[in-house]
Amino acid sequence: MSPGPATALLAAAAVAAFLVDGIWALAAMATVLLVVCLRAPMERRWLYIGGVVFSAVSVIVISPLTWSSGGGTLLWEGPTLPVIGTLDISSDEIRIAFVNGLRLAVVGLAFTAYTLRVDHDRLVSAAGFARRSALAVALATRLVPSLERDATGFAESVRGRGVALEGVRGYARLLSPLVAGSLERATGLAEAMEARGFGRTGATRAPRPAWTWVDRAALAGAVLLVGVSALWL
Amino acid sequence: MALARLEGFSFAYPGGVPAVRDASLELAPGEVVALLGPSGSGKSTLLRALAGLVPHFHGGRFSGRVVVGGLDTRVHGPAALAGTVATVFQDPENQIVMTRVENEVAFGLENLGVPPGQIWPRVEAALDKVGVAHLATRRTTELSGGELQRVCLASALALEPQLLLLDEPTSQLDGEGADAFLAAVEDAGCAVVICEQRVDRALAIADRVVMVEEGRIVLDAPVCEARAWLSSVRPRYAGGLEAADPVPTAGRGGEVLRIEGAHFAYGGGPEILGGRSVTVRRGEIVALEGRNGSGKTTLAKLAAGLLEPSSGTVARSGRATYLSQDPGRYLVCETVIEEVALGVRGDQARAAAELARFGLEFAICRHPRDLSSGERERLGIAAVAVSEPDLLVLDEPTRGIDPDRKAALASWLLGQAAAGRGVLVATHDPLLPAHTRVRLDAPAEVPVAV
Repeated sequence: MSPGPATALLAAAAVAAFLVDGIWALAAMATVLLVVCLRAPMERRWLYIGGVVFSAVSVIVISPLTWSSGGGTLLWEGPTLPVIGTLDISSDEIRIAFVNGLRLAVVGLAFTAYTLRVDHDRLVSAAGFARRSALAVALATRLVPSLERDATGFAESVRGRGVALEGVRGYARLLSPLVAGSLERATGLAEAMEARGFGRTGATRAPRPAWTWVDRAALAGAVLLVGVSALWL
Repeated sequence: MALARLEGFSFAYPGGVPAVRDASLELAPGEVVALLGPSGSGKSTLLRALAGLVPHFHGGRFSGRVVVGGLDTRVHGPAALAGTVATVFQDPENQIVMTRVENEVAFGLENLGVPPGQIWPRVEAALDKVGVAHLATRRTTELSGGELQRVCLASALALEPQLLLLDEPTSQLDGEGADAFLAAVEDAGCAVVICEQRVDRALAIADRVVMVEEGRIVLDAPVCEARAWLSSVRPRYAGGLEAADPVPTAGRGGEVLRIEGAHFAYGGGPEILGGRSVTVRRGEIVALEGRNGSGKTTLAKLAAGLLEPSSGTVARSGRATYLSQDPGRYLVCETVIEEVALGVRGDQARAAAELARFGLEFAICRHPRDLSSGERERLGIAAVAVSEPDLLVLDEPTRGIDPDRKAALASWLLGQAAAGRGVLVATHDPLLPAHTRVRLDAPAEVPVAV
């Protein structure tokens, strides 16, 4: 599938996640996206999928405790805490937590599929009217694996001096050098791009394969997904 | 007529001392020039001036005149010069824009407005010229450092430039990889300015040598004449592969590291080490040698305890510290003294003494990223040496460093061994002193990002 329709389909899934209220519809979307993501190489997918699953489960587990819907059947009532108030769980809160958790999962998995499965280069070249913006998005997407590599390097640099990296404070130490390293990398990349004529007027595009029926169907599917989600789900 | 001309060119980066002073130079079409000099001497600034990046990308104080292909760089920026000039920078990871190899090579051609019908044939021809046509559809994140450097060269050659600028382009390549890379450069047919710390290889393809020291051109001569001058005035830059000086063998003590039958694989990837065994004794320098992808770094990380073998044993007696490749990139603290004190639980007195040993006492309160690349490397070494470990593990410590600093590093290594430390060095450099050399075989190139 061409990257344009594929991106449109993934974006439609992310939009639909906010329009849909049904748990089963959201679960179905999350499952389909998970299958798509599982086709990415093992060593690249685990961080993304792990992060999405952790975030979604956290929302499902924590959110019923932190607010009251005022509706549904009260299933458990706990102690009263300062600021948060009385801890309780109702059937309504559990349902809403699942909806929000699944929404987060759908959006996260759509981003994962975009990052791991879409050919960003072809997406950039397909963006005839906004090539610079599309290139900026593609480069920003590639930042995640670069940061991952840098984080590994920083962690090794610290552990290589015999210093253990433990707990949130230990890893928080790596945040500042990660940001500084990204800025340095961005400067180097900008310099290399300028040296290769980026920004010059009269740029052309290498010929790309024409769209197939699958691409057209995907684009129609994207529109249909948003429409159906808004009207019926 | 000259292809490029510098007339009384001087440049200072903002807030800094002049990086280049009063440089005058002419480059003829098709000429290959080796640009030599210590780190921080102004070589990269000269290359950037020829590419128009100085002063358009790097602001600063510019005087004199630089004309390339008839275009004055004060008026025409790097984008206008692209095509006439192509540049390959030192770190391939910082210059890759696209995610697939063929698209990466096509990127520059698209920017230059090459007719669409010509783009793919030129991409294929460039990839073929540097011997990486088989990588055309691969993702750039799946390539080794050596493969990436060849892709960067293909991206430059695809532009069919009149002037090719190479800033330490073989720093990530093993000896054979560097030879293949430079052979492709030699065949390019355009004028080349190559800035390279592996002096032998640069001199082998050069017609002319320019040497820069403290921003001034101190030598500009044909290669034969230059070799004679370098031999008498700067012998470390004269080339000529010589065996490493004999290493004193006395004083070796008990084992500090024993790796037996080690196997390792990244993720679900192929097995790398194939049951490798290595022993390091106190007072001994062991060099791990081998091509890119042979497992040197993996074995070094196993030795330092940063990785665990999937099978086999690693036994250490005492503490080990590990210096990664490109240590200047992986500095984590806000000041230089904190960076070194990190390894000794914040003991700033000890850190200050170590910094003085490496000539960095002037930078104690500065941010590590404000230092030059050479200073950063010294800081990286100080940070792992300060705790006086029983075993020092160094991964490619000579990568991209100039011959003078390489000599200083060699003598420092000998000093560490003489002090009773075991030293394990993963290196491409056959001239680095070692008591024992362990050769690893390379099954295949491995990705930069595994």
